[in-house]
Amino acid sequence: MNRFSLAVSQAIARITESALGPYQAAVVRIGFSATWLLFLLRELPHRNELYGPDGPWSWDLAEQLIAGNGAFTALMWSDGRFWFELVYGLAVLSSALLLLGWRTRTMSVLFMVGVLSLQNRSIFMGDGGDNVLHLMCIYLVFTRCGQVWSLDARRARARGEQVPDRVGPVLWIVLGLVLIAVTGAGRLLEGDPFVPALLWAVWLALGVRWAVDRLARTDQPRIFLDVVTNIVHNGALLVIMAEACLIYATAGWYKIQGSRWQDGTAVYYPLHLDYFSPWPGLADALTSSATMVLLITYGTVAVQVAFPFTLFNRRVKNVLLAAMMTEHAVIAVVLGLPFFSLAMIAADAVFLPTPFLRRLGGWAARARGRLTAGRGRTTLPQPRAPESAEETHVGFTA
Amino acid sequence: MDAYDTDSEARRGADEPRAPEPPAAPAPPLPPHLRTGVAALSLPYQIGAALALAIVAVTVCVHLGMTFLHVAPANAVTKQHGRAIEDWVYPEFEQNWKLFAPNPLQQNIAVQVRAQVLAADGTVRTSGWYDLSAEDGRVIDGNLLPSHTQQNELRRAWDFFTATHGTDNRPVGLRGALSETYLRRIVVMRLDRDDAAGPDGSVERVQVRSVSTNVRPPGWSQEQVSDKPAYRELPWWAVTPADRVGGAR
Repeated sequence: MNRFSLAVSQAIARITESALGPYQAAVVRIGFSATWLLFLLRELPHRNELYGPDGPWSWDLAEQLIAGNGAFTALMWSDGRFWFELVYGLAVLSSALLLLGWRTRTMSVLFMVGVLSLQNRSIFMGDGGDNVLHLMCIYLVFTRCGQVWSLDARRARARGEQVPDRVGPVLWIVLGLVLIAVTGAGRLLEGDPFVPALLWAVWLALGVRWAVDRLARTDQPRIFLDVVTNIVHNGALLVIMAEACLIYATAGWYKIQGSRWQDGTAVYYPLHLDYFSPWPGLADALTSSATMVLLITYGTVAVQVAFPFTLFNRRVKNVLLAAMMTEHAVIAVVLGLPFFSLAMIAADAVFLPTPFLRRLGGWAARARGRLTAGRGRTTLPQPRAPESAEETHVGFTA
Repeated sequence: MDAYDTDSEARRGADEPRAPEPPAAPAPPLPPHLRTGVAALSLPYQIGAALALAIVAVTVCVHLGMTFLHVAPANAVTKQHGRAIEDWVYPEFEQNWKLFAPNPLQQNIAVQVRAQVLAADGTVRTSGWYDLSAEDGRVIDGNLLPSHTQQNELRRAWDFFTATHGTDNRPVGLRGALSETYLRRIVVMRLDRDDAAGPDGSVERVQVRSVSTNVRPPGWSQEQVSDKPAYRELPWWAVTPADRVGGAR
């Protein structure tokens, strides 16, 4: 009994005193924001056809569907062309800034608004990749995904608490005014209340956080907010990992029931669908041998079904993780699904081991250092920045 | 989760030579505001933290449970509590991970369209069939970054149409009506791009059909499937101004 209560109190201490998995949270942030950014840039010429007011899924059609399901999309606030371009532009901007980790929490909210606005506007344009992104952009809002590998972390290291922050409050006030205006106009409360409530909650929380940091006389309120933020972060990270497991478990267990996955020919078929065979020659080569197709077919099912259970063994987990990331990289090219694959790899990345991620960060920092040095710049603040970030665990604002 | 526990253990482990050692002595002594965790809190705040922990724990469990039931096959619990699950999951947490499962699609479904074109001199002619899916296929070929407009738009619009229409091609509910307008707007747009109406004609009516062809079984398989395409022909639809791009509102 004593041992049990000791274990419980240790666990509680762990999940309240720090936001676990800082590198994993950061790599998930970078992965999904990069996926969405690249997607938006790639679709720039097609943006009107996909999400614009005059696209085939017209504003009118969307309005009728959304009146029924209550999904959140800022694009239904106006059917104007200018509004659409503005939202698309903000979606691009917020994903770029989230990628860099500038005002990470605020950007994660704007990122979510961008993803939901565009995807919910035209739900029939999306595929599995959009679906993963849709879920993860919501979960990311709850995480402290800017603790490392972010401009926020760099700023916190560079100047500590001395210099008062001016940009943060300005950003907060501007977004608050927007929120008030949209709510006042009645637009925000037309559909399902979840996203509007989340927007208000994060905005209020950021305000409270700022006020407590500046005005509180004792440490207690600040530590308390830290504890709550850590708890929420750890809960959200758990949800992200569970979601990834759910994806693989569902994909795997349903496949087991299919006759094609049983007779070992399943992989042959998608590779010979006109919509998923950008490289017919390559597809033919890959499926030229029955044994090969059988191995890939059975292997896919086995890995997907097994993955959630391998989390209890670090080594096996890492082997399967590598296998799944490789398979997704192959799918990106062979089935012509680059953004789906990128999204899945970003989700997988939450399971990457910390030592590997730190090494990755080191390489990235050195590569950047070489790049900036090559351009003749002498301002190299901290070449090994991402690695040293962990020691300064605090100074994290929002 | 376990994966993390072991990982962070490994970070401190001796088998990790590349990980930088924590600095032996951080120059300034820890200021008091660096103390964190519940242990550093006074009782009222501890109660608050416990409350927060309980709320987050319950929310996480309920959310994961609901999501699990949402993706699981229909079962005893979902039959009893289907409504509650839907209320929790929709609209923002909807998901479907039956990726190529239980069986991958084994047919190429091509959506084709033809038009009745009214020419400037008042004559009406019927065009040949335009294979829009084949057009999509051609731009996807050799493309490292296929657009959603090429890979998903028509394909999923047709799925949406068939899912919301009976075999008699009658729409079911609001979604049926929406899918019909959607499909019509897509084909009118595509016909316009293909310049089906010619220099001064206009597309008055359109007819859509699907042509489903079985994927040929692998060369090494003894399996035989029919290579005869199956057709599904929809009735002619009149094109209204609202169906033309820009005329939606």
